[in-house]
Amino acid sequence: MDDRPHKAHRPAHSGAKAEKKDKGKGKEKQHGFNEKAFAPKSGRRADRQGRRNVERDQTRLHVPLVNRTPDSEPPPVIIAIVGPPGVGKTTLLKSLVRRYTKQTLNEVKGPVTVVSGKKRRLTFIECNNDLNSMIDIGKIADLVLLMIDGSFGFEMETFEFLNVLQSHGFPKVIGILTHLDLIKKAATLKDTKKALKKRFWTEIYQGAKLFYLSGVLNGRYPDTEIMNLSRFVSVMKFRPLVFRNAHPYLLADRIEDLTPREEVRLSKGKCDRTVTVYGYVRGTNLRMGSKVHIPGVGDLDMKSVTILGDPCPLPDADSEKRRKLSEKKKLLIHAPMSDIGGVMYDKDAVWINVPGSFTRGNADVPQGEGEQMVMDLQDAGATLEDGVAQSHIRLFGSSSKHLTVQAPADDSGSDEDGDLDRDDDESGDEAEDESGIDSDDASEDDADEDTAPHPHSTGRSSRRDVTRTLPIASTSKIQRADVEYAESDSDLGDDDEDGDMGRRFRMEDGDALDIPSDDDEMDEGMEDGEEEENAPRWKVNLAAKAQAASSTSRRQKDWMKLIYSSELTPEEVLRGKEENLTEADGEDDDDEFFRFKKVPRNEVDAEVDCSKHAWKEEDLKQWEEDEMLESIRGLFITGTAAENGGEGYEDGDAGGDFEDLEAGGDDQAQISEPFKAESTRATALAKKKEELKRKFDEQYDDPESSKADFYTEKKDEISRQLQLNIEEFKDVSLEARALVEGYRPGTYVRIELVDVPCEMIEHFDPAYPIIVGGLLPAEERFGYVQVRIKRHRWYVKTLKTNDPLIFSLGWRRFQSVPIYSLDDHSIRMRMLKYTPEHMHCYATFYGPVSLPNTGFCAFNSLAADTPGFRVSATGVVLDIDRSAKIVKKIKLTGVPYKIFKNTAFVRDMFSTALEVAKFEGANIRTVSGIRGQVKKGLSKPDGAFRATFEDKVLKSDIIFLRAWYSIQPRKFYNPVTSLLLSDKSKWTGMRLTGQVRRDEGIKTPLNVNSTYKRIERPQRRFNPLIIPKKLQAALPYASKPRVMKPQRQQTYLQKRAVVMEPEERKAVALLQQIRALRKDQVARRKEKKSEKNAVHKKKVEKEEERKNDKVKERKKEVMRATGRKSKREAEAEEGRGAKRRKT
Amino acid sequence: MAQAGLVQYSGHQHLRLRLVLSLLSGKAVRIDKIRSEDKNPGLRDFEISLLRLLEKITNGTIIEISVTGTAVLLKPGIISGGPLTHDCPLSRSIGYFLEPLVALAPFAKKPFQLTLRGITTDEHDLSVDLFRTVTLPHLQLFGISDGLELRIKKRGAPPAGGGEVQFLCPIVKQVKTLNFVEPGKIKRIRGVAHAVRVNPQFSNRMIEASRSVLNRYIPDIYLYSDVYKGEESGKSPGYALSLLAESTTSALHCSEAISQPGVAPEDIALQATRALLAEIDQGGCVDRQHQTLVLLMMVLGSEDVGRCRMGEPTPRTIQFLRDVRSFFGTSFKIVAAEPMDKECSHLLYSCYGVGYVNSNRTLA
Repeated sequence: MDDRPHKAHRPAHSGAKAEKKDKGKGKEKQHGFNEKAFAPKSGRRADRQGRRNVERDQTRLHVPLVNRTPDSEPPPVIIAIVGPPGVGKTTLLKSLVRRYTKQTLNEVKGPVTVVSGKKRRLTFIECNNDLNSMIDIGKIADLVLLMIDGSFGFEMETFEFLNVLQSHGFPKVIGILTHLDLIKKAATLKDTKKALKKRFWTEIYQGAKLFYLSGVLNGRYPDTEIMNLSRFVSVMKFRPLVFRNAHPYLLADRIEDLTPREEVRLSKGKCDRTVTVYGYVRGTNLRMGSKVHIPGVGDLDMKSVTILGDPCPLPDADSEKRRKLSEKKKLLIHAPMSDIGGVMYDKDAVWINVPGSFTRGNADVPQGEGEQMVMDLQDAGATLEDGVAQSHIRLFGSSSKHLTVQAPADDSGSDEDGDLDRDDDESGDEAEDESGIDSDDASEDDADEDTAPHPHSTGRSSRRDVTRTLPIASTSKIQRADVEYAESDSDLGDDDEDGDMGRRFRMEDGDALDIPSDDDEMDEGMEDGEEEENAPRWKVNLAAKAQAASSTSRRQKDWMKLIYSSELTPEEVLRGKEENLTEADGEDDDDEFFRFKKVPRNEVDAEVDCSKHAWKEEDLKQWEEDEMLESIRGLFITGTAAENGGEGYEDGDAGGDFEDLEAGGDDQAQISEPFKAESTRATALAKKKEELKRKFDEQYDDPESSKADFYTEKKDEISRQLQLNIEEFKDVSLEARALVEGYRPGTYVRIELVDVPCEMIEHFDPAYPIIVGGLLPAEERFGYVQVRIKRHRWYVKTLKTNDPLIFSLGWRRFQSVPIYSLDDHSIRMRMLKYTPEHMHCYATFYGPVSLPNTGFCAFNSLAADTPGFRVSATGVVLDIDRSAKIVKKIKLTGVPYKIFKNTAFVRDMFSTALEVAKFEGANIRTVSGIRGQVKKGLSKPDGAFRATFEDKVLKSDIIFLRAWYSIQPRKFYNPVTSLLLSDKSKWTGMRLTGQVRRDEGIKTPLNVNSTYKRIERPQRRFNPLIIPKKLQAALPYASKPRVMKPQRQQTYLQKRAVVMEPEERKAVALLQQIRALRKDQVARRKEKKSEKNAVHKKKVEKEEERKNDKVKERKKEVMRATGRKSKREAEAEEGRGAKRRKT
Repeated sequence: MAQAGLVQYSGHQHLRLRLVLSLLSGKAVRIDKIRSEDKNPGLRDFEISLLRLLEKITNGTIIEISVTGTAVLLKPGIISGGPLTHDCPLSRSIGYFLEPLVALAPFAKKPFQLTLRGITTDEHDLSVDLFRTVTLPHLQLFGISDGLELRIKKRGAPPAGGGEVQFLCPIVKQVKTLNFVEPGKIKRIRGVAHAVRVNPQFSNRMIEASRSVLNRYIPDIYLYSDVYKGEESGKSPGYALSLLAESTTSALHCSEAISQPGVAPEDIALQATRALLAEIDQGGCVDRQHQTLVLLMMVLGSEDVGRCRMGEPTPRTIQFLRDVRSFFGTSFKIVAAEPMDKECSHLLYSCYGVGYVNSNRTLA
C-alpha cells in the first residue's frame, strides 16, 4: 500500500480557477433548510432510485450459513504463505512473526502460532513449491498470502494453486507483490503494478486486495508495510466454507513417535508406529469413533484424544494483570517444529529446553570427559547386547570363534524389567527422573527440577517416547487432579455425593482413554480406588444407586451412568429402583449369580421384538376408577391449572393469556393450597407477565421488528441454535462433555494414532504440512463416485477414458481410473472415449465416497517437472453408488445367406441359438438403411436366424444390430502417499502403458494385421453392352441405341482451298501487323515492370535488414537483463542457503 | 472388535434397530448366538424376510447367514429406494417391517414407493393406522413431510392377512434438529375403529364405548368408523380401535386394542381407551412406542444440540441408546426435565447430532 502522506492542497492564486472561485465568493450563501435538495425531482427517478436501493440491499445478503467455530475461543486463523521459490515467503513470515512477537526467528519450520490480539491468534505456515503441499494447504488455509515476484510476474504454480483453491472452497486471498525494488524505472513500475493487479483481479475478483512490499531491510520487509499488512489481517472476517464446516480437522504443529523403542529396534525401524499429533481442532467437533485421514499418509484410527492446555492462550483479564512490564516484550509464540519458546506441554509433563552442557550443538560450553561420555550415551543406537553381538570378542587369543549372544537372553532381559521396556531404552538417570515425577508430582518445585531436557533439544536422531498416561484431560489440571487423588484416599469412607461423582467421571475417563495393557496406570488406579477396583464396576454403581434411592425419591437415578457406563441389562436398569426399594441393601457380594439367573427369565418378555407397549391388566384396571380418571384432567386443555401443579400456564396463545391470568388468580383465591405451591405459582405468574410485557413492548415500540424478513429470521434461528449448543452442556464436566459432543473447535488436543506407517516418521520433514482431517462415517466407505467433470481449458491434452487420474477430493489425494460418459437422451449413460472439448461430462471412478456437491480437482501428474499446466480437470461430485450404469455401443454384424421377398436368413451375427433367443425382436438394419427385426433362430447353422425387413435386402448387404454393453470402472484406488517418501515430490503412481514402454525401453507390439499397407484395388473391367440386332430393330426409336462412329474422311470445310481477294489479303496482313505490334508493346511493358520490381525489392530488403538489426539489439538487451537476474538469484541463493536449495 | 468398522452383538433381540443403525452408519454388523439355546434355533421366517427386504431396498448390501442360521453378517450398501413390492410373512404384521423402513426411507437415493402385503394389524406391532396417524407425523418434526404418505389399500386381519399398504416417503438431505420440550396439553383426540369381515356395527359399538370414557375430558373427539368391504377387507375377520391424542404443541400419544376371541367390542374399546389414558398420564412429548425413532432422528440431525422431553426410557430404548453409541459414537445427556418437581418423571434427552448428510442422494 501506498503509505506516503498526501500532498497538501494548494489553492490556485491565479488563472481560471482562481477567477472562478472569486466569482463564487461574491454569491450569498443560502441559509436554512433547502427542501429542494432532498426531494426527488421526478417521480420516475424516485421510483427507480428506490428500486435500485432495494436491489443493492439484496446484494449484501448471503445464504445464511452456520459457523461452527465458537466465537469465544476460536482456533488460530491459519495464514498460509504461498508462492514460487525465492519470492520472499520466509522473509515475510519472519517479518510478520517479528511484528507480533518482537522475536526474530532464524529458522522457520512448520506452523508458527502467535497471538495477534485480544480475540485472535494466527498460525502462519509457509507452503513449499510442491503441488501436494499446495493442495493440502489450500484445503485448510483461512487466509492465503499469495506472493508474486513483481519483477517476474505470475508463475504457473500460482495459477495452479488458485485453481486448486477454487475447487476446494475459496479462502480469502491477499496478493503480495515483492521484488518491486528491482524495477528501477518509475513508469515501468507503475505499469507492472497495474498489469499485475489487473491479472490478479480477473483471477480472484474485482477489487481483490493486493499489497506491495518494496524491499528487504535487515532481512525483513519494511516495518511500516508489514504493519499495514498485519492490520488488514487482524480485521479480516472469514465466511465459513461448506466443506470445512462439516468436517473436523487440525493442522499438526507437533508430532511425536510413541512406539516402544524396543519394538522399533527389533523390527529394524520397520514396524508400524504409534504417533501423537498435536494441534488445534478446527471445523466441527472432533469425535472419537471416526477415522481420520492424513493427506499423504492415509486413513488412520484415533486411539485416544486428549485435551491439552492451550500452549498459546488468548490473553484474558487475569493474565493481563499478571503480566509484568518487562514481559511486555516477550509475547507468546508457539512453534514446536521450529523449536522456539523452549517450553513444551505434553499430556502429563512439561518439557523445558535448557541449553546446558549435555546439549548437542552447544560448542561454546567446554566439554569435559564426563560430559562427553553422557553425550555419547545419548546416541547409542544399539543395545549393549547388540554391541556385543557385533563385536568380535574372543575369550582367548587362541579361540577360533568369537563370543555370541543367544536370542533367548534378549527375551528374559526385556521381561525382567517391564518398566524400562515400555518407557524408554535411554540412560538410567533419566528413567529415574521420570519415576520421580510419577511418584511425587504433587510438589511443584520437584517437578520443575526433575523435568527431563526437551526431547528435541538433545539433538538425538530418535524421539523420546512417552507412553505413560494419566487419566486426566489436560496438563493445566495436573495440580488439581493430583490434589483430588491425594484427598480421595482419606475421603473414601465419606462417600458424599460430589466425591462419588468425581470418581465416577474419572472411571469413565479411564474407560474411554486408557490403554488397557498399561500396568503402571492400573497400579495407580488401584492405589486410590482399591475398594472400587476390587468389586466389579456395576456393583459400585449399584451401591451408590441404592444409597441414592434409599435416601430420596426415584429421580436420583443417574440415567447416563446407568445406560452408558453400567453393564446392566435394560430391564435391570429399569427395574433397578424397585429392587432397591424392596430389597433395600439385601444384595450381597455374590449376587452375581442371582443376576445371571434372571436374564433368561426376562427373555420371555424380550422374546418378541415388538415396539408396541404391552399393557398389563392391573395397569389398565386402575383406570376404571373415577378418581384416577379425574386425576389426569389437568393434562387436557379443558382442565384447570390447579389440577396440574405449577405447569398450568404453559399453553395457550397470546390472545387468551389475560383471561388465563385472571382465572389463575381466581383459582388461587378459591383453592387453599400450601404456601410453597403458591409461591411457585406466583413466580410463574410473574414470569408470564414479564413475557407478556415484553411482547407488548415489542409490538408497541417497534412494529417492524416483529415481522422480520426471511433472511433475518434464518439468522436468528441459527444464532438461537448456537446459543442452545453452548448452553446445553455448560455445566457438564470437561471429560463428559467431550464424550457427549466431542472436542470443540479451538481446543488444543493431542491425538494418538495407531498403525502409522513407519516412513511417515522416518522421512518426516516439517516443511511439508501434516493435516489431520476427520472423516464422516460415509467417507470411510468405498464405492463408485459419479462426478461432473470438465477438462481445464489450460490443460493441453484431452483426457482419455481408463487413463489414471489423480484426484484431490475431500481430504484425500488419490489416483483412480475414471470412465467418462455423457447422458444420452436421458436413456443411458454412454461411454465417451475422450472428454469433450469445452463441455462438462460425467466421470465415474472407484474410490472413497465423498458427499455429493463436494468439489475436486484432478491432475495427470503431480511432479514438478511436468511441462505446462498441471490441473487437468475440475468438477463436482454428483452421486455415490455401489454399481455404475455406463454402457458403450457395440455393433453385431451378420450377412444374409438366403433372401426371400422381405425375409432373409442371416448368419455370422450370433454363435448359438441361445444368443438368438436373447435378441428376438431386436431391431436390425442394413448398411444401405433397410430396417428390420430379428424373428427366430434357425436350427441348422448355429446362430443363424430369420429376419424380416421393410424391403428386400441385397446379398451383398451387411446387416448390423446396435446393442449396448455395460461396463464398470476398474476398481483401482491408489492413495498419493507423498508424505511417506524420503523425496516427497517424487511420488509416482500408476503409469500409462506408453509411459511404461518408454521407461522400460519396450517396443510397442505390432500386429501384422494392423499395419497400414497400400490398398491394391484391381481395375474393374466392364464388358461392352451388346444389344442383339433383332432387339434393336424391335425397339421404339426413342430407345434405340444411338451409336455413331467417329468421322474418318475430311469434311468439306477441311479439304477446300481458300483463295483471297487482294483487299482481303491486305486487310489480313494489316491485322497481322497490328497484332505483332501489340505483342511487342506488351513484352516491353513487362520488361519495364520487372526492372521496377527489382529496384523496389532491393529497397524493401534494405529496410528489412535495418529492422532485423533493431530486433537483434533488443534481444541482446533482454538476454543481458535475464543474465543479470539469474546472477543475482544465484547470489541470493548463496546468501539464503539451505532453504532455497530444497525447494 | 475383531476388525475396524465391524460391530458385534449376540442375541436375537433388537435385531431391527441394529440393522437400521448399521445401514445408516455404514458399519458392518455381525450378530451371533441368535436363539442358539432355543429348540428351534436361528432366524425366524419374518427375520429372514426382513433381511430380504433390506437387501431389496439397498444396493451392494452383503448379507451372510451362517449355516445354522444363528449368525448374521450385514455389510451395508447404499439405500436405493424406488418402487418396490414385498410380501410379508404371516407370522408378523406389516408394522414389523415398516418400522425400520420409516427410519431408512428418508435417506434413500430415490423416494420410496413401497408396497407391502400381509397383516395390517396385530397385537405385537404398531398397526398401519397408527403408522399413518402417529408415526409419520413424528417424521414431520424433523422436516420430512412433503409426499410422506401411507395408503391403506386393503386391510388384512390375522391370521390369514391379505392386507396391502403403500408407503411413500420423500428423501431429505439432512434432518432438522429437534427442540421439543413443551409437552403441552391434550387438545384433541382422534381414532379409527375398523372392522373387516364382521358386522360393521362393531366399529360403532367400539366408538360408543370409547366415547363414554373420553367425553368427560374434551369435546374435540372424532372417532372414525372405517369399514372395508369385499376384496379390500382381507382374508380373515377382525376389528380394532386405535386412538391418538394430540396436544397443543402437537405431541402425540397413541394406543390400540385389537379384537380377541370371546371379548366384546366394547371391552376392546375400553382397553384401548384406558391404554390411551395411561399413555397420556405418562406424558412427555413423545410416547413410548416412538422413543427410538425420535432419538434416532435426533442423533442424525445437524451438528447442533437437539432436545426432547420424554418419559422414562423403555428397555428397548435403553439398548438402543447403547447401540447408537457403538455405531455413531454419540451419547445422550439425560437429566430430569424438572429437577425441582419430585413427582415428575419426565427426562430431558439432549444430544449433539452427528450431522448426518444423506450421501446416497443424487445431485441434479
